Amino acid sequence: MVHALHEARRVLRPDGLLLDLRPAAVHRRVGLMQAERYRPVGIMRETFDDDRAADRAVLAVKGEGLFKVESRAVFTCNRTMDSLDEFQEWLANFVKLTKQSPHDWLVRRVEQALAVTGGKARVVVSGPLVLRVLRRRETTAQPAGFSRRAKRAG
Amino acid sequence: MPLRVDPEENEMRALKGITDWRRKRVLEIGCGEGRLTRRLAQLGALVSATDPDAQLIRTARRKLVQRFAKRIDYEVGTAEQIDHPSESFDIVMFAWVL
Repeated sequence: MVHALHEARRVLRPDGLLLDLRPAAVHRRVGLMQAERYRPVGIMRETFDDDRAADRAVLAVKGEGLFKVESRAVFTCNRTMDSLDEFQEWLANFVKLTKQSPHDWLVRRVEQALAVTGGKARVVVSGPLVLRVLRRRETTAQPAGFSRRAKRAG
Repeated sequence: MPLRVDPEENEMRALKGITDWRRKRVLEIGCGEGRLTRRLAQLGALVSATDPDAQLIRTARRKLVQRFAKRIDYEVGTAEQIDHPSESFDIVMFAWVL
C-alpha cells in the first residue's frame, strides 16, 4: 500500500490532491425500508485488518513528508436492494472481495424479516464512508531522519 | 431495479465540495464498473480510470455513454504500477481500494 501511495505521488503534479475514499472501519447495519419506515435487522461482523493496514500506510507517507492532510469527511452511504436475491448476491461478492466470514445467519434473518412484509420492503445496507483529502508536498533531497539527527546534533 | 449505491448522493456531495472538477485531470484507481468514474466525468473531469479486473473494465467500457467518451479512458492496471508519466494528474483518487 505504501508503494501504491508513492506511485500516486509520482503521477501527481506538484500541489495535486490525493483522495482516499473508503468505508470507515465500522460494522455495516442491515435493515428493511418500507413506506419510508426503517426497521433494523442485523449488524454485520466484519474484520478491519485491511482498513487498519491502509490507515498505517497513509500515516507512513504523511510521516515521510510526502503529503499533508487537508480534510477528512465522514458521511453515510446506503445501498438499497429490492429483493433477497439481490442482497445475497451483493453479500456474496462483498464477503469474497473483502475476505470476510460468511454471513449466512444474516441472510436468514433478512429472509424472515422480508417474509413478514410480504416481500414488499427494500433491503438497506448502510455504513459510513470516509473521504480523506491529502495534498502533495514537495520534499527536499534530505535522507529520511535527517532533520531529527540534525536536531539532536544541535 | 438493481442495487443502488448511495441513492442520497452523499458521496457526490462530499466530492463536489473538494474542488472544481472541470477540466481536472483525474486518475481513479479501483474504478470497478465505473460508477464513480461516470459521476466525475459528469462534474467535468477528464478521468483515466483503472482497475486490475479486466472483466470489470470490459463492463465499464460497455456502460460508457457517448457523451462521456472523450472524458473517460478505462484501462486495466494496478495501483502499484501506474502506467502514466510523472506529474500528469491534478487528482489521484483511490476509490475503495486502499
